[in-house]
Amino acid sequence: MQLYLLPGSTYAGDIDSLVLLITGIVGFWYVVTNLMFFYLLWRYRAVEGQKALYVTGHEPDLHRWIAWPHYLIIACDVVLIVGAVRVWYHIKQNLPEAGETVRVVGQQWAWSFQHPGKDGLLDTPDDIKTVDEMHVQVGQVVHAKLESRDVLHSFSVPVFRLKQDVIPGRVITAWFEATVPGVYDIQCAEMCGIGHGIMAARIHVETPEEHQAWIAQASPQI
Amino acid sequence: MFHRSTSAVFGLLVGCSTAPTVGTPEDAAYRFDETCAPCHGAAGAGNPEIAAPAIAGLPAWYVTSQLHKFRDGVRGTHFDDIEGMRMRPMAKAVFEDAAIDALGTFVEALPSQRPAPTVAGDAAAGQASYATCTACHLADGSGNPALQAPPLTHQPDWYLVKQLAKFKHGVRGAHPKDTSGATMRPMAQTLADEAAMNNVIAYVMTLGK
Repeated sequence: MQLYLLPGSTYAGDIDSLVLLITGIVGFWYVVTNLMFFYLLWRYRAVEGQKALYVTGHEPDLHRWIAWPHYLIIACDVVLIVGAVRVWYHIKQNLPEAGETVRVVGQQWAWSFQHPGKDGLLDTPDDIKTVDEMHVQVGQVVHAKLESRDVLHSFSVPVFRLKQDVIPGRVITAWFEATVPGVYDIQCAEMCGIGHGIMAARIHVETPEEHQAWIAQASPQI
Repeated sequence: MFHRSTSAVFGLLVGCSTAPTVGTPEDAAYRFDETCAPCHGAAGAGNPEIAAPAIAGLPAWYVTSQLHKFRDGVRGTHFDDIEGMRMRPMAKAVFEDAAIDALGTFVEALPSQRPAPTVAGDAAAGQASYATCTACHLADGSGNPALQAPPLTHQPDWYLVKQLAKFKHGVRGAHPKDTSGATMRPMAQTLADEAAMNNVIAYVMTLGK
């Protein structure tokens, strides 16, 4: 059963595991602290004839109630940091060799794509230029060269768990390797003006045969 | 705009929207304010800083036909049509046919706001080229709805020059479903270069006065 969005790239599972780890650890402590908080509210509620007591927190038998959870949470933080750095290194610091490189141009409020065409090279006459639709091959590492024509955007493909800011004046390389053929959403994940909410496109993840057929059909007449 | 958005949110929260009925003049005014005015201005006078042309007073048939084209991806989906791609999601936001019709009527009723000329061209030289245009746009530039030819006397000159270039280079009018655009494309191709475009538009700016 699919409990959440399809994991459609090689690293989608890593991201999901990290999110689950964070949710699990933070959720555990959220429940524990709330249970403790409400228990103490009830246990030390106002009682007729009993004076309130000021506790500084320095008494050894009380101090350990603060110190021990503190140590445990620091230990949990270390686990989270190690998990996060491993995923960050794998996705953001590591750039596998490209099977195909596509230029992705964000503007208010559309995504346009320059595919390399038959020769596999960008900026040649056989490039395939599209608006609102990107075509990639399943099982192939794709480098997306992200550019903006105007303001900040963010190239987000939820099924790939990919989200990368697009910054005017810079060319930022994002990568992914799609694992499941299909047609999925691309969205803008950085407020970019009045049309931001409907700045959507679609990514077509195709089998090698479908991808070659698309290239043949969409290639410009030269 | 802020209090309208806020009241719309409250309307949704209590289960009844305060937005007017689709297709009514109130609906058109509301949508113009929400969707069109941020770029084209409250009076539809346009804003050259963001390449938004004046639209006030354009005939309803033309406004609706272009909104349909933008909404349906017939216009504003070329890789190099930067301004068109900016317009497209706005048209997609007004997705009901009745709302588009009402907006067309609303825009037509706005007093025409043609800005002063900005393009330097030789109107006398442009007059000769304009002979080609008269077949559809008529000698006075008032257009002919029967031929899907809009009036040329409402929009700013920088916009008209830009559209000529887009038609010439297939950035506009090249979509297989853009039949009226396909009519305009070969006409724009008769203009040799940017100077020829500037000249003919300089002449167009003398019309309708």
